[in-house]
Amino acid sequence: MSQDNPLRNVMRCPVCFSRDTDVLMIHSGGDFHRCPKCSFQGQESEARGMYKDIQKKFHWMGRRVTLDEQRAL
Amino acid sequence: MTGHALTPAPGAPRSRARAAVTSVPPPQIRLMMRFNLFHRPGTGAHYDIYRKQQALAHGLGLKTTVFLFYHDLFDARAIADARADRETFGDEIALSLHGLSGPGLSDITRGQICIWLLDRERKEQALALILAKFREVFGATPASVGSYHFDSSSLAILKKLAPEVRTVIGGCFEEGVRVFHGCNHSWYLFNEGMPWNPWFPSNSHTLRPAQGGADSSDIVAVPHLLRDMSLSFEGRNDFWASHSPNVIRGMGNDASFCPYDLNLVDQFRMQADWNGGHSYYNTFVSPSWLDWNHNSEYPPEVAWELYEKFLRYMAGLKKQGELADLTLAEYGQWHRAHKPAGTPEVYLAKEMLYGSGKHYFWYCDPAWRVTINAGQGGSIGDLRPYAGKVAVATGPDTPHRDIGTYPYLIQSQHRAGNAHHCYDGARTTLLLTHGDETLDLCNFSAKVSAVARTADATEIRLTPVAFTFADGLTGSLVTTYRFARDGVLHIARAVSELSDPQATLEATEYFKGAPGRTEYPEDLHGIVLEADGATPVRHAFDYDGAWRESAGARCVAAVIPQVNSRLELSVAADAAPATTGGVCAGHLFSPYFTLKLTRSLRGDGTLKSCLKIIPSAM
Repeated sequence: MSQDNPLRNVMRCPVCFSRDTDVLMIHSGGDFHRCPKCSFQGQESEARGMYKDIQKKFHWMGRRVTLDEQRAL
Repeated sequence: MTGHALTPAPGAPRSRARAAVTSVPPPQIRLMMRFNLFHRPGTGAHYDIYRKQQALAHGLGLKTTVFLFYHDLFDARAIADARADRETFGDEIALSLHGLSGPGLSDITRGQICIWLLDRERKEQALALILAKFREVFGATPASVGSYHFDSSSLAILKKLAPEVRTVIGGCFEEGVRVFHGCNHSWYLFNEGMPWNPWFPSNSHTLRPAQGGADSSDIVAVPHLLRDMSLSFEGRNDFWASHSPNVIRGMGNDASFCPYDLNLVDQFRMQADWNGGHSYYNTFVSPSWLDWNHNSEYPPEVAWELYEKFLRYMAGLKKQGELADLTLAEYGQWHRAHKPAGTPEVYLAKEMLYGSGKHYFWYCDPAWRVTINAGQGGSIGDLRPYAGKVAVATGPDTPHRDIGTYPYLIQSQHRAGNAHHCYDGARTTLLLTHGDETLDLCNFSAKVSAVARTADATEIRLTPVAFTFADGLTGSLVTTYRFARDGVLHIARAVSELSDPQATLEATEYFKGAPGRTEYPEDLHGIVLEADGATPVRHAFDYDGAWRESAGARCVAAVIPQVNSRLELSVAADAAPATTGGVCAGHLFSPYFTLKLTRSLRGDGTLKSCLKIIPSAM
């Protein structure tokens, strides 16, 4: 994997992503990111926490549903 | 309430569907999944990732189809490696039409990366140049060619310039409006309304499965990736696909733990239960997805680990004799031998990421593609009227420009569907009226309890829906759909267990639709609405919003020139006429045509209706 890839530090805006839209935030120094499409701004840790919130709706994200289990679903 | 006044969808409907579980008997035939593994080289550091992908596949005993771009045909290393892999592992060398750049080609495409968005003259110039270079390098025409979308003129030109091409990657299932939004309104791939499984494209619209004969391009097309048939309907399908990093993009993984990838494989394997023992799958992960990329907040190791887990699962299935890995050309040969043009396909989708367990049933043949939303009582959530053979080529020299979609008559996600905000939108339903109260079947959840297929028909039965009126009358309703060939859908609504055996219900079959291609309404002028019966109706669509009714009608219909079709809703041939048939040309705040047939039912009984799509003069 290329270590000098410029996409290494990009993050998507968690507010836009919660609306199913991928918008790359602008890395504005240090740990800080801001969205060019909406008014979200925040640190990486805050964005990652919001990603986890988005995932809460996927109740079966960690569940293996085998072929036989799907037949019975 | 009158029959067409809808009960608003409350937060919690007064009556709820009975809990039910679908039980499918074990298949009596051996199930087999056929699998295509597609790779393509990258440039710079991504070339090493591509080679690692190839090594992984070969180490697992899987053969691949390598799609070379035009610019790869000038790369001696890419050519030599592809040749060596073909000779050593039986891989296929195919041609990718995306990323249209390279010596001589950039002058033709001028920055346009998509073949289907060029004008016809430049499509031909580009294809001629690319094919000539491929022949120069490999001494032969490719047997397989890939594109995110083949419009009808691109495919016709390809057939003319390279009749040896027998198999293509022909489209991305249901990519369109949602993906356009999701990519920040910058991904111009509108090709909704296509088969989810391999098909024979028709000549006039490649996304329409051909009837066979002169209608058929005689080329086998496979979709670019297989999609989650629940979540692709509800949202972005580029998240929920046979592509591990796509699922990362959708945030459906917890780092390198992502059982969803394998769940989706198994859901496609399950479809063999209803499709002659056969199922199909492919994956196409380019190296950029396995590096740092703009669609993931994880390091590349996560994507690689998930990709490897996925391929190991497929290799394991192969060892168990439940999967055959084929090159794309080999798959095309198998398809020709076993799936003649016109073969109906079905898919029973069971949602398994949110954990809702919702069911969708998809039916596709050359007459139409129909999606039954069991979670809304069996409402039709999507209907593509293939029978009308709408012809579409894309490009700046066509009226369609970038919209390659096959038009819908119902798309309940783009066009409101069940009433939940203001008026309802495109959908079907059954309205049950007792006294002054009307229940809307769309507010009741059901599942698919049985699927039965014969050579001539596909029948599904939904689980019973228990209903309760405010005055205490209760009962049960079972819906059965029977898809005959040639665009005929038989609908049976069986009411039973009425708490008052003498009670009278009014039952209204209801169809609300509009021809369209995106989420925005299109001009409905030209549509003619009809009803037979005591006071026959024939009304040119004028957005006046009025209902026009005829007592004793047997049939209500819409003639829809936008899709070259006549849509009929009728009582079954052996049934009594309806009490009332009605049609409505919706006003501009509800721009749809609506058809309804209302009948009375005293006590338990079954009401049978028929929905038909009939090609009209083109």
